[in-house]
Amino acid sequence: MSFLMITGRTVNQGVTVENKTSPEYAAETSTCFMHEFDMMELGLDDGDAIRVTGPCGDVVMRAAASLEVEMGTVFVPYGPYANHIVAAGTRSTGMPDFKSHVVEIEPTDEEPKLVHKLMEDLGGLAYDR
Amino acid sequence: MIVKDAVCPFCGCLCDDIEVEVEGNRVVAVTNACELGTTKFMGEKRLKNPILRDGNEWKDITYDDAIRYAADMLLSAERPLLYGWSGTHGEAQCVGVHMAELIHGVIDNTSSVCHGPSILAIQEVGHPGCTLGVVKNRADLVIYWGSNPIDAHPRHLSRYTRYAEGFFLENAFRDRKVIVVDVRKTETANIADEFVQIKPGGDYAVLSALRAIVQGKTDTIPRTVAGVTREQLIRVANLCKSAKFGAVYFGLGLTMTQGKYKNIRNAIELISELNRHTKFTISAMRGHYNVYGSNEVNTWMTGYPFGIDFSRGIAFYNPGETTAVDILARKECDAALIVGSDPAAHFPRKCLEHLAEIPVVQLDPYPNATTAFCNVQIPVAVTGIDAEGTAYRMDGVPIRTRRVLSTDYLSDDEVLARMYALMQEAQRS
Amino acid sequence: MTELLVKNACVIDPLSGINGEVMDLAIRNGKIVEEVSDAAEVVDAHRMLTMPGGVDSHTHICGTKVNFGRYMSPEDMRAGRTPRRGAMHATSGYSVPTTYGNSYRYSVMGYTTLLEGAMAPLEARHTHEEFTYTPLQDTMANTLFDGNWGIMEAIRDGDTKRVAAIIAWTLKAVKGFAIKLTNPGGTEAWQWGKNVSCIRDPVPYFEVTPAEIIRSVVEANELLHLPHSVHLHCNNLGTPGNYTCTLGSMGLIPDLNKKRQTLYATHVQYHAYGGSGWKDFCSKSEPIANFVNMRPQIVMDMGQVMFGRTTTMTADGPMEFNLYRLHHDKWSNHDVELETGSGIIPVVYRRKNLVNSIMWAIGLELALLTKSPWQCLLTTDNPNGAPFVKYPEIIALLMSKRYRDAEFATIHPDTESRVPLPAIERELDWHEIAVMTRAGQTRALGIQDLGKGHLAPGADADVAIYPFKIDEVDPSAEYQRVIDGFSQTEYTIKRGRVVARRGECLVHGSNATFWVAPKVPENYDMGKDPDFIEKFDRYYTVRMRNYPVQDEYLTRSRCIETEAEL
Repeated sequence: MSFLMITGRTVNQGVTVENKTSPEYAAETSTCFMHEFDMMELGLDDGDAIRVTGPCGDVVMRAAASLEVEMGTVFVPYGPYANHIVAAGTRSTGMPDFKSHVVEIEPTDEEPKLVHKLMEDLGGLAYDR
Repeated sequence: MIVKDAVCPFCGCLCDDIEVEVEGNRVVAVTNACELGTTKFMGEKRLKNPILRDGNEWKDITYDDAIRYAADMLLSAERPLLYGWSGTHGEAQCVGVHMAELIHGVIDNTSSVCHGPSILAIQEVGHPGCTLGVVKNRADLVIYWGSNPIDAHPRHLSRYTRYAEGFFLENAFRDRKVIVVDVRKTETANIADEFVQIKPGGDYAVLSALRAIVQGKTDTIPRTVAGVTREQLIRVANLCKSAKFGAVYFGLGLTMTQGKYKNIRNAIELISELNRHTKFTISAMRGHYNVYGSNEVNTWMTGYPFGIDFSRGIAFYNPGETTAVDILARKECDAALIVGSDPAAHFPRKCLEHLAEIPVVQLDPYPNATTAFCNVQIPVAVTGIDAEGTAYRMDGVPIRTRRVLSTDYLSDDEVLARMYALMQEAQRS
Repeated sequence: MTELLVKNACVIDPLSGINGEVMDLAIRNGKIVEEVSDAAEVVDAHRMLTMPGGVDSHTHICGTKVNFGRYMSPEDMRAGRTPRRGAMHATSGYSVPTTYGNSYRYSVMGYTTLLEGAMAPLEARHTHEEFTYTPLQDTMANTLFDGNWGIMEAIRDGDTKRVAAIIAWTLKAVKGFAIKLTNPGGTEAWQWGKNVSCIRDPVPYFEVTPAEIIRSVVEANELLHLPHSVHLHCNNLGTPGNYTCTLGSMGLIPDLNKKRQTLYATHVQYHAYGGSGWKDFCSKSEPIANFVNMRPQIVMDMGQVMFGRTTTMTADGPMEFNLYRLHHDKWSNHDVELETGSGIIPVVYRRKNLVNSIMWAIGLELALLTKSPWQCLLTTDNPNGAPFVKYPEIIALLMSKRYRDAEFATIHPDTESRVPLPAIERELDWHEIAVMTRAGQTRALGIQDLGKGHLAPGADADVAIYPFKIDEVDPSAEYQRVIDGFSQTEYTIKRGRVVARRGECLVHGSNATFWVAPKVPENYDMGKDPDFIEKFDRYYTVRMRNYPVQDEYLTRSRCIETEAEL
């Protein structure tokens, strides 16, 4: 199913933002908040893994029901998961389309990756001491 | 020991009434701060010393070696990018500008992916604003548009608007109306007197409709505009016109959606129009505690708030060309210095793919997502915790942060000044 | 020890009574001395015109609104760009240059001391930060008190000593130099979208009038024994017929100080308008100049307008909104809690525009009709009337009737019937220009005893040497030579070092900041006053302990201590 993906700040994202290697930060920024009817339609329960595919790739997140989002839109806290599928074009403003991406969402058996793993997939080297 | 009136280095509210209790050189309790600020003050797990990526391993290195590495990297780069700057103090930002000028680099700050579009709008139509205390003391109408302070600026409501006392308001909570405009029914929407829910991407149309109503062209308004009923639009316009003092605080809900800076331009023009009827101001909810300071420093030193390219010697500004996301996505820069931000967590993947291919040095107290792309990371003192320096609040009020702990970490400006000195020396010889 | 000998200088130093004498200037460790050793470095001035470094007593160069002028105007930044070169950093901007741009361009014109015209106390730290990056001039800041709640309450209570005490605490806290009133009362009214019409119109809620504010603050200024007088931007700036309001404001001022004026009225050009609207708009420079000629207690500056593009910026928020409604270009406004406000819009002054042409004439008339050059100083209210780089053209206009006539022929033809300028024959001489660009400013600011603005032994060695000989230039006829000569010094010397030569700045420099610390008795110390503290805590959004500007912000601190009479 297609959805409009909006990203934004949350308290939990902010609380964990200075500790981006923590499991809490990964859990918060890999959460995809959805309308419960949309979740029903996709056969999803809270916490189920989903594959979110954007214009330049896909990433696995977890679905969570939220009263704040309308049907047809999903909300993902700012962070490395959403950015894994956001396109870099800025339409000559310097600013990517962080709040206006159309994404495909489907259930998956895969687990969300750790932030470290996401970074290593792109050529980085995790530091975890 | 209790440090009073400490300044919180988290968000653009820059609250300066924090009490920090320190025992044995550790923060043990924080009073007055929100959850975001408290967590930052209590932060641990800092990087202990500079680290160097050596193949698939991390090695500890000395500050001298790390600083030398950074200076050499920047000196040998053809198109260096100096990015970040919102999470450090003004004194460090000034060194950054001098450095960019010396090596003909590009210096950009996080506003390019935050309120950069707001700045573009201001450059078209100006900015009727005020300090936060003017709103606190006078405003009988506050509008949060595409911003969600409960999550992003938790004390904005209690210090300046919804729950704040005001000199000219007898009973501020009762006499001050709050309107929230958003695509989501956020937590902030729940405490509003009026919630206007817009269909995603519909902000521009709703702003235009309000402008038309304020100008007396109510007949032209269709039954609904981007999901908002005509009746509600008229009600909101009337609330605005009948307010004694109105204030709009907008967030990334306007800058990051379709239309970007044109949304802000429309909002500002609505406010300029409202000033013909009553008093109205509009301001951006700036994110990092000192992102505004970075704009200020860049402006007085180079003439431009962000995205400054010194490759031709003069300061050149063209957002969309000279901004970090674009430069990385075009695989243009051949070295990057990152200070006080974490682009790997906040930039699209294509940018990170290029970061992985070029030498990167980062100044940051903590290991973060960008660490994975670094060749060298240099831990520094945290401004507002173990370093002092100037920060500019979201309304332009500059405040000097206090030091609540003393540690051996060098501050950003000390590390940068040493780097700059090495670079000047190399250029002379 | 560093020594410098400037030989064969043709010196005009009005404060020392020197007018065109060829002499040597001896400099040791940054000061003028009687003589130096043979080891001194020598600069031969070849009888070129040599004066104390220029002093600008009203310019907008540093701080919140100036920087916002840059921030909102990339088109202005593009209009003046230089790369990093030698000791000079890159610069941008034409009407609102970057701090380095201001500093280098002023230095090349021989200016060594600048007074920022308007600093909001709450945002003072910003002004001081920018001062640090204005390295080739000494700096000081007018501090805004026009809409100060505590002061208006004290005036309402009839307590002038408390007015003085609040001013003393604030100036010391924010490291300000002098008291500035910008549209007194009007900036507070503007926080409700209103204004005050003239000096008898009460401020909403506070119920004090601009006249009461001006009078009380002038008295308080003298109780504090501040070096400078109150610095007033009158109510009603820019409106037709406002000259009566200006005369009324000036008429409030007794002569209270033997050493200097009691009131400094700034950019009076903008306050010398006749007419009942734009249609019959005309010059009222004559009644203003005549009034000032009879009152030694008043000094004014011109606020000259020059044609072209510039940016207007002032603490006078309501005036800027009115301008915005006329121009429909971009508009910024920034109100400051409990204190003041500001506004900014870009403008173009056009020769083909009648009102602009009349404005241009009025500034010149004020300078030419005021008998004593000590009472009408040369400014453009930079950048409001024009960027300061236009000063040499203004000097040439004041020195040459022929140049004025040539310019007059190019402006709106109806101007002639609205202004007295064509009938004025006066041409100022070199000495009068020296007064209007440094000596007069120095006396008006009260900084002569601090070693500024003159070249007697003991003075700071700030010297400007211009590349021409006064006996070889006829300013009346050769006005282009005058313009060229004042545009670029042969040498600018600051604190005993050559800092600029023929358009190039040679050293990085570091500024000194002058500020005042009036000493008040314990019972007038607002830092300990329970009522003051309580109001501060409740209504400001910055804690009182975080409000004062820390010593870290002043590279070279020149604190002027005064004894208050409270």
